[in-house]
Amino acid sequence: MDQLDYTIHQPARLQIMSALCQLTESERVDFTYLKDRLGLTDGNLGAHLATLEARGYIAVDKEFVARRPKTFVAVTPAGRQAFAAHVAALQLLLAPK
Amino acid sequence: MIEYSVMNISVEEAEKALREIEASRLAMRSAIRSHRGHLFLWLWGFIWIAMSVLYWIDAHRFQMASLAICVAGIVGSFAIGIRQNRQIRSRIDRRFAAVCVVLLVFGYGVWPVFFGGLTSYKAAYGYCSLLWMQVYIVAGIWFDTYLLWVGLAVTALILAGFLLFPVLFWVITILCGAVLVGTGFYIRYFWQ
Repeated sequence: MDQLDYTIHQPARLQIMSALCQLTESERVDFTYLKDRLGLTDGNLGAHLATLEARGYIAVDKEFVARRPKTFVAVTPAGRQAFAAHVAALQLLLAPK
Repeated sequence: MIEYSVMNISVEEAEKALREIEASRLAMRSAIRSHRGHLFLWLWGFIWIAMSVLYWIDAHRFQMASLAICVAGIVGSFAIGIRQNRQIRSRIDRRFAAVCVVLLVFGYGVWPVFFGGLTSYKAAYGYCSLLWMQVYIVAGIWFDTYLLWVGLAVTALILAGFLLFPVLFWVITILCGAVLVGTGFYIRYFWQ
């Protein structure tokens, strides 16, 4: 049976995972863009991304674009699976007994 | 690591979480929609239509004029790319780039020589279109399904025009441009 996942269930991380799971498997999103979309601060988003990265749910790549450092974030297959299981567990709670 | 069991949260909290997930999903889908390439589809769809109309108006100047239009299209594509400064990117996939290069090198360099050249504007136009549609199909398999459908639809139209309805070939190429433009509108306004 699918279990609720505390790492994902925290409201900001729920938003982050929900947003990232909309990207295709080959896509990744710019840190600043994600921050603006979700209305989080640099520090807040950074901390939540670190938590999700430690669980292997997302991958964070840092690289230089036009000599400027850029951070890109993508969801991993494990992250996608965990998020789907979390949503299924939430839906199970609402299912008529 | 702490994990909630199903019993640890209330039904209300579960409902709230699902609402938040849906809101976040819709917001991100709306953001992604503007990065899905509809501007490129509109640009090249209209170029395609313009080139077909141009052939009707003045077939003699078609070759030079179509070259100028294509160059303008390439410049326009770069301008769109720079302006969008994409914040949602596909990872650079070297295998995909290699497959596209091989397709184009063989397409432009080997097959025309192998088949003894392309003897009419119609054949050259259809041939070049099919070549680029191969790239769309590969990109569709690799990255985004809608490119696959565009590639297959245009390939089918070009082949039908060339083999079954040669009289209607240039009308059908306008339809090919319309497929690109229409897909651009679908991606921009209706894709969920």
